Amino acid sequence: MKSFAHVNARSVDEAIQLLTKYNGRAKLNAGGTDLIGVLKDRILPGYPEAIINIKTIPGLGTLEKGEDSVSIGALTPLVNLIESPFIEKNYPLLQEAAKTVASPQVRNMATVGGNICQDTRCWYYRYPDQIGGIIECFRKGKKGCPAVAGDNRYHAIMGAAKCYAVCPSDIAVALIALGATLTIAGAEGSRTIPLEDFYTPLGNVLAPEEMIKAIRIRKPFPSTKQTFLKFTIRKPIDFAVVSVASNITIEQRICTRARIVLGAVAPTPVRAFAAEDFLKGKELCEEIAVEAAALALAGAKPLSKNAYKIEIAKTLVKEAILSKIK
Amino acid sequence: MTNYRFIGKSTQRKDALDIVTGKAKFINDFTLPDMLYGKVLRSPLPHANIKSIDVTEAKSFPGVKAVLTYKDVPDWMAGSAPQHVRILDSKVRYVGEAVALVAAETEDIGAEALRLIKVEYESLPAVYDVEEATQPDAPQLYEKFPRNILPQGIRVFGLHPLQEVVIGDIEKGLEDADFVIEGTCSYENIPNPMPPESPAVIAAWEGPDTLNVWLGSQGPHIVKVALEKWMGSINIRSVGYSVGASYGSKYMSWQYTMPAAALAQATGRPVKLSYGKAEHLAAFTVRLGSRIHGKVGIKKDGTVTFLSGDWLVNTGAFSEASQAMVAVGCGEAQLILRCPNWSFKPKVVCTNRTASGQVRGFGGQELKCALLPILALGMEKAGIDPVDFFKRNYVKPGEGYYWRDGEWWVCEGIDYTKAIEKGAETFGWKEKWKGWLKPTSVKGAKRRGVGVGIHGNADAGEDVSEAFVRLETNGTAIIYCGLPEHGTGQRTNICKMVAEILQIPLDRVSVTPADSLVNPVEIGPVGSRGTYAIGSAVIAAAEDAKEQLFEKVARNLKVKPEDLETLDGMVYVKGKPEARISWGKGMNYSGTCLGRGRFESDFSKPNFMMIFTEVEVDTTTGKIDLIRVVGATDVGQIIDPLCLTNQLDGCLGSAGIDSALFEEAVLDTRLGRIMNLNMIDYKWRTFAELPEMEHVILETPFSTHRFHAIGVGEITPSPGPPAVLMAVSNAIGVWMHDYPLTPDKVLSSLGKIAATKRGERA
Amino acid sequence: MTRQEKKFSGVALEGKHRINLTVNGQLYELAIGRGAGKVNPSDTLSFTLRETLGLTGTKVSCDSGACGACTVLMDGRAVLSCMMLSIECDGKEVTTIEGLKDPKTGELDPLQQSFIDHTAFQCGFCTPGMIMSSKALLNDNPSPTEEEVKEALSGNFCRCITHYHVVDAVMDAAKKGVESK
Repeated sequence: MKSFAHVNARSVDEAIQLLTKYNGRAKLNAGGTDLIGVLKDRILPGYPEAIINIKTIPGLGTLEKGEDSVSIGALTPLVNLIESPFIEKNYPLLQEAAKTVASPQVRNMATVGGNICQDTRCWYYRYPDQIGGIIECFRKGKKGCPAVAGDNRYHAIMGAAKCYAVCPSDIAVALIALGATLTIAGAEGSRTIPLEDFYTPLGNVLAPEEMIKAIRIRKPFPSTKQTFLKFTIRKPIDFAVVSVASNITIEQRICTRARIVLGAVAPTPVRAFAAEDFLKGKELCEEIAVEAAALALAGAKPLSKNAYKIEIAKTLVKEAILSKIK
Repeated sequence: MTNYRFIGKSTQRKDALDIVTGKAKFINDFTLPDMLYGKVLRSPLPHANIKSIDVTEAKSFPGVKAVLTYKDVPDWMAGSAPQHVRILDSKVRYVGEAVALVAAETEDIGAEALRLIKVEYESLPAVYDVEEATQPDAPQLYEKFPRNILPQGIRVFGLHPLQEVVIGDIEKGLEDADFVIEGTCSYENIPNPMPPESPAVIAAWEGPDTLNVWLGSQGPHIVKVALEKWMGSINIRSVGYSVGASYGSKYMSWQYTMPAAALAQATGRPVKLSYGKAEHLAAFTVRLGSRIHGKVGIKKDGTVTFLSGDWLVNTGAFSEASQAMVAVGCGEAQLILRCPNWSFKPKVVCTNRTASGQVRGFGGQELKCALLPILALGMEKAGIDPVDFFKRNYVKPGEGYYWRDGEWWVCEGIDYTKAIEKGAETFGWKEKWKGWLKPTSVKGAKRRGVGVGIHGNADAGEDVSEAFVRLETNGTAIIYCGLPEHGTGQRTNICKMVAEILQIPLDRVSVTPADSLVNPVEIGPVGSRGTYAIGSAVIAAAEDAKEQLFEKVARNLKVKPEDLETLDGMVYVKGKPEARISWGKGMNYSGTCLGRGRFESDFSKPNFMMIFTEVEVDTTTGKIDLIRVVGATDVGQIIDPLCLTNQLDGCLGSAGIDSALFEEAVLDTRLGRIMNLNMIDYKWRTFAELPEMEHVILETPFSTHRFHAIGVGEITPSPGPPAVLMAVSNAIGVWMHDYPLTPDKVLSSLGKIAATKRGERA
Repeated sequence: MTRQEKKFSGVALEGKHRINLTVNGQLYELAIGRGAGKVNPSDTLSFTLRETLGLTGTKVSCDSGACGACTVLMDGRAVLSCMMLSIECDGKEVTTIEGLKDPKTGELDPLQQSFIDHTAFQCGFCTPGMIMSSKALLNDNPSPTEEEVKEALSGNFCRCITHYHVVDAVMDAAKKGVESK
């Protein structure tokens, strides 16, 4: 791997200062499970001058339980979400999502913040430099998306315009269903935004000198059922072909609140607003679920090889709606 | 059945301790003093002429010791046949083909230097489809292969190698048939056997005419033979290490060994060339592409009256040994299909993607995957149960076939009917089989189906093996055999055979390293030949050594050699163990007994493998779960039960059964690039999704092997993919002929989404 | 500094100049920089273990975090050494396949013995990684179910298909481990 300068940040402020100093030419490294691959394959036109290790920042790897919410430090390893009885009890869909990520080793290393910020797995974007050079595309500042006329079996079925790569994060899909917010640290101090506003068609809203500090989730509503479903070619290792997270409150058999989020179908995680609205005030049954699933995918426009993702997404939305309260 | 001391018993593998403690040495664990690292600049284009190439900057990069282009590499020509592959050429024929080579002090320096090489290409149109490539106006890869068609036949198989199967009279077959079925099936997902250890070699010259290579090859002796043929009159010493698996792919190994040799020659220093996984997946040999347009005549009782068809074989950018694979495939077609009238004609075609080469199944798997589904169409029409069909039509003792050498061989093996019946019984075939295109069970959206496949190979006794066995005065024995350990446990198994013959503890038998300088000729553990061919040579050497020992002792004791017996390094007259003398004394402490063994090709003993599969298809998502696999075979005599079950379990891996489910190299035909060049996007079987696996292993003695055994390792995956195709088709009630059966194809077959063809542009 | 080092280090190194890494109970103090025995900022842990410390039992196959061949234990957890920067492992305790034997008696870890007894390997290339993943499992969960074993090994590639023997070997080692307590 091509070398770089390496700095251990001792505080969030120091990390921000370093990011500011390198002005886009440095990358933060947490678990490394995404970044190291990006560096080894040299998939990006530029190569970072410096890697800033943020694992050396104390206090960012813990769960802090508050009165009406929990704050998850950005450096919390995914395995901690799986092993936490608190998460299991209050946010089972987040635990389920964490369990589906990659492999036990990756879950020991990868962090919540890193999972949210990871780069897309589009195989055109990720094509390794060593086999004839990287593939240029809109996401890399050039024109065109090679997936549109290429093999787009894993690409976006909705919400894409110039880049059809999908957001690969499972954790984000789960967290958006839980209404999570992000605390972002930057040169001007901290700001808080809903996670669902974090993603943009080509990545996220982080400025070059910003980093995620923590994720906050409010206390779950009572009599709420949470479900996370992920369709993959294989159970472990694989990124989602489609994932669905649902967070549905049912009072006296009637759905009073619903959040349904689809992953890996678009450049960003997608809230299925139409389906959510449709479910409100209804008693959930097969027929209603099928209709809601159709609404969730109403805007889908497949590319040449990914129409199957629509069918799968519909099935997952339906199953999520019909799942039992745990 | 004979009660053996070692044969048939579970014994600790000789390399077990090294493997579990991390001491086993694979080629990348090994360095030579003063060694440099090779790196390869790879083509971005599928087909292009190199207009100019400027290496000035790369050459002057600190730490770089050599940069080679097509202008300055030796004129070594490889590939078969005729030779057509240069290690670097002025033309590139696939994305990832070598354009320049660098030798540097470290891998990182080499990688940086590659980026400084400036190449200007003249892009040429590329062709990927096997039939498009044979059109008159198709892009031409090699001048010497008009319409991209390679000459048939391969001389290493003899003067009249098998090129096609033409027997009897097709017209007669048409007349006799109750049903005639025509169909096309393709197995063109070109899966990669993907051994964990990517190709790697260290090359070092000793003077101008001797080249030493150390590598994880499955056949170090064949590496020597191939390099000597391709590189001209030089001496090659080839040393095999622990092989981080091969599955056939790292057999000849010239693809990566010759570039390393060129760099070592240019620098005068040892050079290690070690592929990364992306290189392994993009620029190393994959399975053949196989497409059959076939026509089959069948009678109501399952008798096949004729088979005619074209077998279109896509070998990619070059042929490593494709004609040889086609020859074996043609032979193997006849093993599963008793049929009087044949007109089955293969064509090997070059296209602009990474080359195909030898992989476990060696042409036979590629053939079966395309042929069995067409036969299944016939069976459906005739209303025949596939198990009954295969039982009727698999070659029986006394029946003949043309083998790869073009000769007519008569089967002298055993009748596998019992194995088929026992396999079907264990699987519960009768209960699960509901007829063609009928599910075994339906539960909501989940539909189950069953399928079966068959395969066999008469190569278990192929080619020449030689071995020496040296008896030592201290009661130990050394086997001289060029056999590397590539996972089958065969190095231990030949020790077991020798220990059994000499009746000494297993730890008193050792094997020389797989070093071509030390050992006699050994083609290597390929084609399931380890037990029968290699084993027989080693056995003969041990018997010869024992005979020599007994002759010496007999002279001293004034008895007949045949009156003697040996146990644990002592020799005595049968029944009188109290008057025993040691081997040392028997050999007068000075000499040794050096036994010699040789095995010659015997194609009269086909082995056999049947695979039964049960799948569950989720009709809402198109996901297929492989629920259960039952393999049935007859091995004559088990040598080591755990090594055997390991080999049989191997049916899932190495581009085997799973190549029907999710394994494929995803080729973007607009760019000519393979898109899934990592082990996330290239799918492989994980621990989390293991089907239930059961093996039916019969032991019907083979008369011609000392321990009545025959090997099956190579053939275990090959019946699997078509069995899965059959099972899924039955589950969903629609024929599926498009490997691998990914969810999109299942949903499309079910009519839930519009059909898309993978090769198609948007 | 040689010429090539100058070429590479366009940016001055910041931070520590040395890391402490404990591997199999032995403390290594490794200087940051280029050259023999040093750790370059871009060196992965698998590279440092294999090339710098000579511990070649840890294997590299996919080199991208997908196959588990390079699995080692870090502070008791199974991690992928090919996806970690050595420079970020300062103060960590690493166990590799070479460190599983009892350092005093030289006795094999029961898992290693069980892998031998079950011939739970074919080519053996992926075996060190599998044993390390299994070790991490049994450390946490001395009597796992078969499903838990499969889950713990779900990030370990084996192309020969030795999975069935490996599951038997781990279950057997666990059973014997519990019995001996």
